[in-house]
Amino acid sequence: MPANVIEVQDLAVEYGRGKRRFRAVDGVTFRVAEGECVGFIGANGAGKSSTMKAIMGFLFPAAGHVRVFGEDAGTARSRQRIGYLPEVALYYPFMKARELLELYGGLSGLTRVSLRKRIPEILDRVGLAGRAESLLRDFSKGMQQRLGIAQALIADPEALILDELSSGLDPIGRHDLRDVLMELRRRGRTIFFSSHELTEVESLCDRVIIIHGGKIVTQATVAELMRPLSEIEISFVTGNGSSLPASLTALRPHVADGHGTLIVDSPTRCAEAILALSGAGCQVRRTSTRVRSLEDHFIELVGATRRAP
Amino acid sequence: MTVKPTLLIAKSVLIEAVRRREVYAVVLVSTLLIGLVMTVRFFGLEGLSKFYREIALKVMGIATALTVVVLASRQLPREFETRTIYPLLAKPISRTGFLLGKLLGVLLGAGFCFALFMAVFLAGTWVLGGRVPWVLFLQHVYLQMLMLLVLATLCFWLSMILHLDAAITIGVLLFLLAATFTTVTSTLYDFASPFGRALIVGLTYVIPQLALFDLSEKAVHGEAWEPLRLPVMAALTAYAAVYTVIHFSLALLSFRRRSL
Repeated sequence: MPANVIEVQDLAVEYGRGKRRFRAVDGVTFRVAEGECVGFIGANGAGKSSTMKAIMGFLFPAAGHVRVFGEDAGTARSRQRIGYLPEVALYYPFMKARELLELYGGLSGLTRVSLRKRIPEILDRVGLAGRAESLLRDFSKGMQQRLGIAQALIADPEALILDELSSGLDPIGRHDLRDVLMELRRRGRTIFFSSHELTEVESLCDRVIIIHGGKIVTQATVAELMRPLSEIEISFVTGNGSSLPASLTALRPHVADGHGTLIVDSPTRCAEAILALSGAGCQVRRTSTRVRSLEDHFIELVGATRRAP
Repeated sequence: MTVKPTLLIAKSVLIEAVRRREVYAVVLVSTLLIGLVMTVRFFGLEGLSKFYREIALKVMGIATALTVVVLASRQLPREFETRTIYPLLAKPISRTGFLLGKLLGVLLGAGFCFALFMAVFLAGTWVLGGRVPWVLFLQHVYLQMLMLLVLATLCFWLSMILHLDAAITIGVLLFLLAATFTTVTSTLYDFASPFGRALIVGLTYVIPQLALFDLSEKAVHGEAWEPLRLPVMAALTAYAAVYTVIHFSLALLSFRRRSL
């Protein structure tokens, strides 16, 4: 069984004092195992960044504890093995890209000699080849984000914690980034990231954690989450004077002018419904599979939580 | 704690300070101001040379101090504002090492600004054919750097507990107060009530007496003054060290306890 890279136990994070005290994260518990790619999704203000900051030791939990590589969060030893990308940072405008990466690489313990080789490689990897000597004040938001990813990867860390991963990136940038992350996954790196791009989460992750209002709503593998999201739609024509049996009316079919549709959630139920329709004198015209996206599921889940008293 | 991360942070501060145009603007405006002095023919050439040196050293001291107030005050708030504090502290560097690096960087930036001024000062002195009392002059430079160290740590602390604009404003006011406190209060003391006198004495210990680090007049009238003796220099160094440690510890305490 792979070791846990991140262990979050009953984490609570609070902001403000006195009457203005506000609990942004409340009783969050999860683990990220070595080699896993886990997506952390939630609406704005759900508690994603606060959780990630607690993992990095940037803020002090009001309750619970966080361990990274078996060490308490925030220790220099735990940070040694992690690459972290913050939510869009605006890097020093009067520094050059090379100088910035020398700074971050040096802080990570890389030598000058290794940095001389590593910096052009990493700039090329994030699509900033040839920009090593450019001042950062000339970088667009997307380029700053690419540079942010470069600084997170500079020391080839064992685990990556990436906050709002694709923020500010154009479609090409997102595509490039997906390639980078895919490659890191193949190399067995642990990745924990938050993103509003749910298609990205769907395509990259082994597991997804959904947070809302500071609490975890669900955490499951992508396959588990997607299983109930597949639906089969059956279109049929009703026979003259035929009425649908109770087993089908329970599925709430939509019937108008002799044409009807009904939705079932598995191939077995589909076969049963077709038999029942034929038995009732209906003619099945078409079956089609509808796969709902992670986004549909997320909206449904978070929406339900919002509506709950 | 290793030294390398601290040096890397200091280098990044210095790069920013050197590449920003504001340091050059401060030096240029101050040079123009000093240059105006050279047009005055009231004192004769020898008098002009002394007058020039006195004004130049005063302007240089104030301009460098103001540069340090701005440079030191904005280091931490700017890191929070642009979120660059996160990738920095995500690397294996302690908050103490980070703050020390920032302080060293500010001092190097101040040193760079001071070096530009020195070039201007020495060039002006050479043009006017004046003599520089080198030992006193170098003692003045050393003490000014100590004064900048006290000021920089004070501004670090202010920037941890106040907004950036407030930190700069209070920093400038405290610098002016600390630089003139002895002169003003030594006059006021004789006329003050017992309570006023106690307050003045109390404040004398709370506020670092920055006037102690200003040898500009002695450096100008070098022929009338002996260089400061070693025990005096050591006492002034210790005095600066006490305030530096207090200010830095307060800044560090606020920084270490702060959720980012």
